[in-house]
Order: sequence, then C-alpha cells, then structure tokens
Amino acid sequence: MRKAEGAAVPRQVYIALLVACQCVCVLGCGPHYEYAMEEFCLARFKLDMLEVEQSHWCHWDETLEAYSELTNCTFLVALKMGCFWPNRLVDDFFIRVHRDYFHDCSLSGRMLKDPPNRILGPFIMVPVMVTLLMTALVVWRSKRSEGMV
Amino acid sequence: MCLCVHIWTSWVNGTLQMVPVDSETFYIYGMASFPSGHFCSRNWDGWLCWDDTPAGTSSAQFCPSYFIDFDPTEKATKYCGEKGQWFRHPDTNRTWSNYTACNANTKEKLKSVFILYYMAIVGHALSIASLLISLAIFFYFRSLSCQRITLHKNLFWSYVLNSAITLIYLIAVVNNPDLVGQNPVGCKVLHFFHMYMLGCNYFWMLCEGIYLHTLIVVAVFAEEQHLHWYYLLGWGFPLVPACIHAVARKQYFDDNCWMSVETNLLYVVHGPIMAALLVNLFFLLNIVRVLVTKLRDTHRAETNMYMKAVRATLILVPLLGIQFVIFPWRPENRLVGEVYDYFMHILMHYQGLLVATIFCFFNGEVQGTLKRQWMQYKTQWGQRRRDHCSMRSTSYTATSITEVPAFMYHHECNSEHLNGRNSEDSELVALKTGETYA
Repeated sequence: MRKAEGAAVPRQVYIALLVACQCVCVLGCGPHYEYAMEEFCLARFKLDMLEVEQSHWCHWDETLEAYSELTNCTFLVALKMGCFWPNRLVDDFFIRVHRDYFHDCSLSGRMLKDPPNRILGPFIMVPVMVTLLMTALVVWRSKRSEGMV
Repeated sequence: MCLCVHIWTSWVNGTLQMVPVDSETFYIYGMASFPSGHFCSRNWDGWLCWDDTPAGTSSAQFCPSYFIDFDPTEKATKYCGEKGQWFRHPDTNRTWSNYTACNANTKEKLKSVFILYYMAIVGHALSIASLLISLAIFFYFRSLSCQRITLHKNLFWSYVLNSAITLIYLIAVVNNPDLVGQNPVGCKVLHFFHMYMLGCNYFWMLCEGIYLHTLIVVAVFAEEQHLHWYYLLGWGFPLVPACIHAVARKQYFDDNCWMSVETNLLYVVHGPIMAALLVNLFFLLNIVRVLVTKLRDTHRAETNMYMKAVRATLILVPLLGIQFVIFPWRPENRLVGEVYDYFMHILMHYQGLLVATIFCFFNGEVQGTLKRQWMQYKTQWGQRRRDHCSMRSTSYTATSITEVPAFMYHHECNSEHLNGRNSEDSELVALKTGETYA
C-alpha cells in the first residue's frame, strides 16, 4: 500500500518540478536549488521518516529506502536545474538531515574502534597480573607439597 | 581537519550503493582552520574524503574496503596541481583520484594468501599426526612413565586440541565469507575455544618450566610433587583470559565472527601468554644458573641429566615466544612482507610438530626405548622363523636376555626415586647412558 502511494507521489512531485524548473532554471544553482530540495525532497523524506518509529531511525534496514529516495531526488533536482551533482549545497542539506534525524546513531559495528585506553588498559593488565599471581601461587604450593617451605 | 559525510559511494553498475563509512563524522566548512598559501580544498570524491593539500603535492591514504577486490593496505593517491587545482583526468577533464593501486596486485596477493592458508592447514595436520604418534609412544611404553612425561602428555594434548580447533576454524570459517557474513554465534564460540586452547598451550609450557624449577632448584631432585596445581594452571586458568577477551570483544569490538586482528583487545589473551613465556624463560635461566654453579660439584651425574632436560625446554620457549614479539611489526616493503608472512606462518602453525620433535623424537631415552623395542621385535621374528626349524629351546633365553636391560635402565625420571640411595650405581649407569638423554 505504502509502496503504491510512494510510487504515485514522486511522479506528481517531478511533474510540478518540471514546471517550476522551467522558470527557475535560468536562475542557476543558488538558493533556488536549496528551496527546491527542501520543498520536494525533504518534505517527502519527512513523511517517510514519520512512518518509521523514532527509536528505529538508526536502523539502516528501515530507513535505507527513504534515504535513497532523498538522494535520488536531490540528484534529479540538480539535473533538472543544470547543476553539477554532488555540490556544496547538497552537502549542507545532508548535514542538516543528519543532524535532525541521525545525530545519535551509534557506530554499532560499522567502523569498529578499540575502547579508550582507560578501559583497554585494565582489560589487559588485570589478566597479566592474575597470571603472575597464579604462577606464584603454583610455585609456592609445589614448594609446600615437598614439605620444604 | 577533514571530516566527511558518508552519503554516497559510486554508481556501481548503474545503481546507487549506500555504504556508511563512518556515521559520526560531518563535513564542516569553516570550522577548521584553513592553511595558508596555495592549496587544493578538501573534498569528497565519492569514495574517500581528501583533506586540504598544499599545491604541488600528492595526498595519499589507505584504500577503502567497500569493494571485494580493493586491498585496504594499499594506498590511493590524489595529486594537487601547482595552481591549487585537483588533478583532472585528461580523458574526461574531471577531477580524478588514483585508486589503481588498490586492485592492481589483487590476483597475486590472493594467490599468496591461498598458499599461506594451505600451508597453515598442512602445518596443523602434520602437528596433529606427530603429536598423536608421540602420545602413542608415551602411552604404550610404560617404562617411560614418570611425572615429567605426564606433563609432556598434557602439553601434547593441549597442542592436539589447539590444532584441531584451528583446523576447524580455518576450514569452516576463514574460507567461508558467507558464514562470516551471517555471523552465527557458533563461530564466536569457536573463536573463544581457540583462544582458550592457545592459552592452554603456553600455560602447559609454563607448567613444565615450574616443574623443572621446583625439582631442581627448590627441592633438589627430591620426591614426587603433587600435580593438582599444575593441572589447574594448565587447563583451568586459561579460561580466565579467554572469558575476559570474549566479554571485552562482545562489548567493544563485536565484528563478524571476531575475526579481525586489528584490535588491541587481542592482547587480553596475548598479554598473559607473553607474561607466562617471560616467567618461564626466567625460571629456566635460573635452573641453568643453579645447575652450572651450585650443583656441578655435588651432584655431577644428575646435573648432566637435568641439563639436557632443561636444554630442550630452553630451546622451545624462545621459539614459541618469538612470534608474539615480532607479530605487530610487519614490514612495509612487499617482498620483505611476504618473507615475513611465510616465516610467521611456519612459526605459528608448525609448533605442534616442533614440540613433538624436540620433546619426544629427539629425546634420547625415547629413541633408546624404541630401538630396544625394534631389536626385540627383530629378534622375535628371527626366533619365530627359526622355530619352524624346531629350535624352540633357545627362544626363551633369547627373549629374556633382551628384556632385562629395559628394567635395569635408570633414566632421568627414576632418579627421583633414587634420592641418593644408590648414588654409586646411578653414577655408573648415568655415565653409560648420559650421552643419550636429550
């Protein structure tokens, strides 16, 4: 159901875009491009993201489609307006989208990094210390079992 | 400082591929400082982020890992021209980054990797075979049995199990990217056992060292020790670093099947192992010191015997340990790097074979026992053939003659029981047999 609706909306959007673009094309890739992106692409993306629970915004499986649509849309708008894609305005646009929707997504296995040294240090030093203690214990106990302390 | 938004990758086969590179970085204009003079401004070329580069220089960074045939250890470059413009490819006249090095040598490298892989499998298979033969020798010849041999048996068992688990890991997981992609819990459990068995190997070596130390330095060839604590250190204690590693890995570096070696969390297991090896080395050097200085005059015969026993362990410990010392230092140069890879693989995967050879096949006592058994069989076969010619009466005396020396032999283990009782006899026998002990 959603997919059918989704398929219908961009067509209307793009037709409107075509009409609008005839007027603004000549004005180039300035604020009009930004406005076009906000009006046509971001609005659609906002609707899509409303359908996904806010706690699931960081789940790539659920948001990938909407995000792809958004990217595709900015590309088509750029194409229609004769702008090179990607460009600085698109970058800024996506930074804003990321700040609004994905600002608190954790790395969760994508770019894995070691924990900071204050955590890594104890994780390594504790087993080493326990090893040395255990060795000392075994040496001491085998001494004692000889009856020679 | 250049931080990039991760939105796009290239148009691959006409479809847009979304691959998040680093979800926490943002492209921030104007917040970092700009360098002075001519420079090419930072930009995102679709695959990687390139920082501000001074004019007339080349910027280089590691290739991305998005594509199967890209080698993340190779470098991609981007040249900034004299006038502060990024290099444009002559054919398309668009800015172009040089990713050709990323997949240029992939075929040769893949071949080399497969050779190393098969070498590892062969190494572990040979190790298992030689260790099982050694264990069979130790179990079959009861005359060899004593506490030191018991420790050898446990050591060999830990190597057999380690090689078995490594073989399973190599065959089922490493060569199977689909399984790694699925990331089942089973492969992490396998990795846990792999770390545990690795610990067991080195802690049993430590037990050998502690046993010899207690025997020679502390108790001076006195009676038998209780082995319970050795069993605890050899089989029980390695669970501790393995569990801590599993917990840390799950919490902080939970990659697929825990295969990555790029993490310092591996030191949670390797750290205690290196500590065990260092302690072992210290004990063995101490034993040598004691044997050479204090006991030379008083217990000459036993000193020679134990020197030879210690020599075997003293050779093994550095050989086993050196891999941990040079492991982080892979050379940059390609040829030297390949030599390093082959050397490390031999060192790491043929250890079981090395241990079995030094502790069993090169052990003079074992060789003596095997020779005697072989002579016995030969004589028996010879007798059986002569039986057909009905000379039965001679067979009994012949077999009993060959059997007697086996019981009269005082080898290094029985000297523990001697405890200075028949010192003259033991010295005589030791002088006769001293040269055969390893």
